[in-house]
Amino acid sequence: MRRYDRWIDGEAGPVVRPYALTGGRTDPAGNTVLDLIAVVAASGPTPGPAELAKLGPEHRKLLSLCQTPVTVADVAADIALPLGVVRVLLADLIQQDKITVLPRRPARPQTSTDLDVLKEVLDGLRAL
Amino acid sequence: MASAPSDGTADGLLTPFKIVVAGGFGVGKTTLVGAISEIRPLRTEESLTQVGVGVDDLTGVAGKTTTTVAMDFGRISMGTRLVLYLFGTPGQDRFWFMWDDLSYGALGAVVLADTRRLSDCFPSVDYFEQRQVPFIVAINVFDGAPSYDAEDVRIALDLDPNVPAVLCDARQRASVKEVLITLVQHVLAAGPIDSHPASRYLGPAG
Repeated sequence: MRRYDRWIDGEAGPVVRPYALTGGRTDPAGNTVLDLIAVVAASGPTPGPAELAKLGPEHRKLLSLCQTPVTVADVAADIALPLGVVRVLLADLIQQDKITVLPRRPARPQTSTDLDVLKEVLDGLRAL
Repeated sequence: MASAPSDGTADGLLTPFKIVVAGGFGVGKTTLVGAISEIRPLRTEESLTQVGVGVDDLTGVAGKTTTTVAMDFGRISMGTRLVLYLFGTPGQDRFWFMWDDLSYGALGAVVLADTRRLSDCFPSVDYFEQRQVPFIVAINVFDGAPSYDAEDVRIALDLDPNVPAVLCDARQRASVKEVLITLVQHVLAAGPIDSHPASRYLGPAG
């Protein structure tokens, strides 16, 4: 038995080191870490087949997941890749202007409008 | 309430909020998140360079610098645009460095406590106090655990008088719902805040 075989049985499926997908990069391009609930969406002209062919399968999958605005956490869950990897790959797409980070309300209320939105959240919870 | 749309968020933009669920190992964070939301596993891989190992080589096993940890991740959708995300903190001490990531831009936090091991939640209380993240303490009432009222726990934890402490059953959806309502009310009662600390995290405006 080879040295690492005991860690990986048949059910593990094909094994690729997660950061192999990023070419070994662990820091996102631009050194900006996407917040877990940052909302990203595809932007710019729809890439043609030639342009899509230049992207790796993970980048293409991410791009397709971002066709409607979606949070980074949901994207990571949908693509079933580690969050760190997803952040690096999304940053690549941001650098290429293929996706954009949408503006968001502040995390905690700063204005009366923010408070109103939070009251909506409260009502939503009560209605669960 | 359901007032007529009248502001910038009324245009149907996705409006996510983040709530952190913290507490000691085995206190019921996974149960709490699962009780109220669709559970979706979110795997995350964190580079140990963040805790100062300082190794970049990911090619060899000897240079393994990452470790994978499953994170509790819950989602509660309210209507088409308001979404509440719940993130459970990893219970083990060695994942402390993930707390900043989870807490950045959080609406608030729930510190889950077990009266049999109350000291387990001290670090969580300290963390959110220091980061000025609004939080409440929810005491998970386990079968067979000594019963205290919330006030006893508040005294034991030396909580600020305005920090709510409530009893809950993390298995019960209705109970967890009340916990979240208490937290949102707590944030509302604090009123608007001035601004947010700068961070390298990208996402929330402000």
